[in-house]
Amino acid sequence: MPTPALDEHDRVRAAMLQAARDAGLLIAAYIPFGVAMGAALATTGVEPWLIVSSSVVIFAGAAQLAGIELLGAGASVALVVLTITVINARHLLYSASLEPHLAAWPRGLRMLGAFLLADPIYALVIARFERPGGAGARREQYAYVFTSGLVCLVGWTTLTAVGVLVGGLIPDGIPLELAVPLTFLLLLLPLVKDSAGAVAAIVGGAGALLASGLPLGLSTLVGAAAGLVAGGVVLSLTQGGDAGRPGATDAGASRA
Amino acid sequence: MRGRAVLDALAILLGAVTTYVTRVLFLVSKKLRPPRAVARYLPLVGPAVLGAIAIPGLIAPGGELSFAASVPSVLAALAAWGAWRLARRQMVVGLVVGLAVWWALYWAVAQLGW
Repeated sequence: MPTPALDEHDRVRAAMLQAARDAGLLIAAYIPFGVAMGAALATTGVEPWLIVSSSVVIFAGAAQLAGIELLGAGASVALVVLTITVINARHLLYSASLEPHLAAWPRGLRMLGAFLLADPIYALVIARFERPGGAGARREQYAYVFTSGLVCLVGWTTLTAVGVLVGGLIPDGIPLELAVPLTFLLLLLPLVKDSAGAVAAIVGGAGALLASGLPLGLSTLVGAAAGLVAGGVVLSLTQGGDAGRPGATDAGASRA
Repeated sequence: MRGRAVLDALAILLGAVTTYVTRVLFLVSKKLRPPRAVARYLPLVGPAVLGAIAIPGLIAPGGELSFAASVPSVLAALAAWGAWRLARRQMVVGLVVGLAVWWALYWAVAQLGW
């Protein structure tokens, strides 16, 4: 952990190392899903180089899975793009949520960072900004965001390629499908700091489960919307109608 | 075949563009900020979205909602939570303990034939 005695160079290096560790653990947890996804998509008839490329340019597993399976089934370009867009619509919430923390960044770096804003990276980055003490000085913020994002991007693309190339050789007898939801649970826990956050998470999960029959991967979006409304109601009841932000955040500190 | 590959590439490229737009929309310009009335609720985005991703996979792993599938995964989630707290929020400890508990219960359920 960085200490006040460290100079800026050391703190930036510490942020990079922490990001690499955090992202490396995420990629390890993603091994079963990433390889299984690559193996499943390799059977769709879509060119292997396109499947691997989708991990670089779309960088969102659920949307890649649904979109490429639709392509393999002969769906139109319009339907595939619509499906990918609807599944990834939750990322709008991520950019809105991070805007107060990244407001002081130059526009070019904000736009570059946005490219990396997949689910796990958003979870790592928002937890970093909202931890006690914030995400540090600007260069430390850059180091954490871009290192974690690039490690995840390279790792995810590698897992997809491995799945496409050798996925069929992996034995089915090792149950691993809980690794990804457990990882997201552990990314969620540091973000739940009050009753409003707990209600948002629980109602979000219950809503997504109840909506799991919806097409186009809408269940996550529906669940998240329900969670936001429920959490917002609790926030209004517990903190009143004041304009103040929830006390758990430290957006101001993060702009140091 | 080549024409199909071109269309596939076009679909993936356009999907990438719309994905990027969703990620960048509120970060591209300071004029495009979320409304002030909404700003105080933004810290709830993380819990709401990550809850919507994680909880269905823990209660109905692989999309299967049943006693034999759901009880081991829910208990594994509780074990992961407890281990994470005891280990001072070390994510790797929570993940390893959660998976170990799930594998043990998964094996026990299989042995019992449930």
